Amino acid sequence: ACFSLLPSPPVIKKKVCRSCPNAALIRWESGNTNPVDSYTVELGEISRERSETAVTESIVGIPTYESIIQLLSGRSYLIYVRAVNIGGPSERSDPVIIYTTGGTLFHLNEETAHPSLAISEDGFTMFYGDEYTELNDITLSDNAFSRCVAIMGELIPIRGKHYWEVEVEEHTEYRIGVAYEDTQRNGYLGANNTSWCMRHVMTPSRHKYEFLHNGSTPDIRITMHPKRIGVSLDYETGKLAFFNTDLSQHIYTYKCHFLHYVHPCFALEKPGALTVHNGIEAPEYITFS
Amino acid sequence: MRFGIYLPPKAEGEKCPVLYWLSGLTCTEQNFITKAGSQQEAAEHGIIIVSPDTSPRGCNIEGEDESWDFGTGAGFYVNATEDLWKINYRMYSYITEELPHLISSNFPADSERMSISGHSMGGHGALICALKNPGKYKCVSAFAPICNPMQCPWGQKAFNGYLGSDKSKWESYDATVLVSTYSGPQLDILIDQGRDDQFLAAGQLLPDNLIAACTEKKIPLVFRLQQGYDHSYYFVCSFISNHVKHHAKYLNA
Repeated sequence: ACFSLLPSPPVIKKKVCRSCPNAALIRWESGNTNPVDSYTVELGEISRERSETAVTESIVGIPTYESIIQLLSGRSYLIYVRAVNIGGPSERSDPVIIYTTGGTLFHLNEETAHPSLAISEDGFTMFYGDEYTELNDITLSDNAFSRCVAIMGELIPIRGKHYWEVEVEEHTEYRIGVAYEDTQRNGYLGANNTSWCMRHVMTPSRHKYEFLHNGSTPDIRITMHPKRIGVSLDYETGKLAFFNTDLSQHIYTYKCHFLHYVHPCFALEKPGALTVHNGIEAPEYITFS
Repeated sequence: MRFGIYLPPKAEGEKCPVLYWLSGLTCTEQNFITKAGSQQEAAEHGIIIVSPDTSPRGCNIEGEDESWDFGTGAGFYVNATEDLWKINYRMYSYITEELPHLISSNFPADSERMSISGHSMGGHGALICALKNPGKYKCVSAFAPICNPMQCPWGQKAFNGYLGSDKSKWESYDATVLVSTYSGPQLDILIDQGRDDQFLAAGQLLPDNLIAACTEKKIPLVFRLQQGYDHSYYFVCSFISNHVKHHAKYLNA
């Protein structure tokens, strides 16, 4: 007789699961020392009318430790994972609750942060102190920015539309935008063809705004200086747009064909601070950009 | 007076908002209709577009056809006060009062939702109409507008001819001056300007003056200097869909 042991249930890595209005990225650990043939994701929508959530959908044959699940916006879901081997499927994992009521949520990846940056305890504010940290005496991770005082957010690996906001002071000098995973860590955001960013600097005569990609920018003048900038990323149409949210004003839109998924990215040109607000719904007016 | 009007498919069933387009020197009501390519975007957003002529014609006024930048085809969107012109050349009143009344009486136009845009002299016209009538227009935008006519040769010639030599009378038709005294609902002005525009280089358009005035007065303006573009309708048709979308945001709010 030949017996096959059922696999153990996987463990969902809740902290690195991500969601946006129309999808979720679920990640897990195998939970097994023996090989697993595939995984099955099971989900059901949480309803106020029912005390128990029934599983209404299964996605089978997942070969890796993550899966992007298409969902409906404005809902809440319970999501489980099973491991499957020749003996059959495991018990369900502990579930993760996913909300598609908010917008796209991501965290700042401190591994990518230039050493001069400090990150707040909640992980959404970055500070560039008064002293630039010299790199000579420290060991820098390969993943960290070494010249541009920058940090990247987690990858946004889900197609569709995403939105977040960045809060600054009127005189903060910054770069905000998106970049490919492999953007040069010894380069400046917007100076290469792997990053796109809105840049604000102060000149002796005026506030200067640039929209940099591959080192070049269109000539744009703005008369009201945004303190809260909306950033809209649309993979389908290849658009990256910026807004002054206080005025509901469209500032600029890149039209680009993204070859890969991108990371939100942020940099400070001079000492100052910048706060990221995400997991929020995109306002309606951005559809007119 | 002749005008062009585009009615979107949506107008078959309901009243639609109106975008008034003011054309520039030498244009008639036809230029925008045939060259700008605005109809597709207007159809998508359910917006009526009205494009009036740039002056009255055949008035038998001495000198009306002598210059391409004064008289016929060059009404400058003012109400003339000088004797020769004051009876026929009342383009400001025509655009802001007579034409909207005509449109709402004869077409499925929502008179509560209108906006205004234009090119060159028409850009000047759009800006002054919006600034002089706070709240009347939901949105204003312009292509290569004459921003400060009191300070440029075109404007000085026109204002002198239509309004006389008293420059205090010119101020009420100059967008850069009007900005400094504007008091009304928040505007969100979009201006596109070709970098290779010969009239920009010649000092006829003066957008920097308007930008400075808007910065001082904290009036929202996005000004885009478009590399490789001149003053022509190739420039207008390249960016007209951006402008129609900009107007749609406010007309369909």
